[in-house]
Amino acid sequence: MNAVSRAALIGLLALTLLGGCAFARGSYGEEVTQGNMAAIKKGVSTRADVAALLGAPDRIIEANGHEFFHYYHFDVKSGFFSIIILTLTRTNIKSDDIFIVFDRNGLVEEVVAGKKKPNLEFQIWPFDWPFGP
Amino acid sequence: MSKRLSVSLFLVLIGLAGCYRGPLSWQRVTLNQPITSDQIGFIQDGQTTLTEVVDNLGAPDEIVKLQERLVARYHFTDGKYFRADYGWGLRAVIPIFAPDLILGGGGFGTDVFEVSCDSHLVVQQHAFAFHVNSSKYRAWPFSD
Repeated sequence: MNAVSRAALIGLLALTLLGGCAFARGSYGEEVTQGNMAAIKKGVSTRADVAALLGAPDRIIEANGHEFFHYYHFDVKSGFFSIIILTLTRTNIKSDDIFIVFDRNGLVEEVVAGKKKPNLEFQIWPFDWPFGP
Repeated sequence: MSKRLSVSLFLVLIGLAGCYRGPLSWQRVTLNQPITSDQIGFIQDGQTTLTEVVDNLGAPDEIVKLQERLVARYHFTDGKYFRADYGWGLRAVIPIFAPDLILGGGGFGTDVFEVSCDSHLVVQQHAFAFHVNSSKYRAWPFSD
């Protein structure tokens, strides 16, 4: 083994001793697409229509004559970094919720979805400084 | 060191790198992004509807029925945890059995923004509940 190969091997060994990093992704629930949302018509679609499009709701809430079908979806991104004696881990979770409001006749009165939340980021830095929260 | 041994050691170290955790560890978990007071300036009690709130802030993650009212709730949770293994340095001195001496701690806090609506889904009240400051890294678990 010549000197260059030996130096390269030692360098690689040193790098592996420095630690490692990992990224993981997970989700819970099914994401509701814009196409499915567009198919829900206020004053026309029924509970059965909504259930046929989006599936059974995760929760049903009844309040003041309104019935709410609640659908939720969670997205999780996790980053891990380790170097010699330090280990940094950050896990970000985003919830996307949709409420379909029905009137007393069982027709869709309102779709409470609003704007989409920004995409989740992979991060490994667990501190607020110097980049902010 | 033979080339085969070097390569084997290299592969073992690569395999173990993902399992390795140093003696000092900071971990953080967040759920959703915080809502600031600037973002809710448009809400006028008695006039703004829940639909307008949702168009601006996105859907709430919880709707609760309270007597004749509906309360839409937005949550932001922040969790922090720190641990230090003070026995780690002894591995160089006692390679066969080095005891762990781990101290650490953390906390979870949740900020909640609540919008209370009447039966016509018009906002009647809105308020923040701040608790996220209870989320902090703790190096010493024995303090009061």
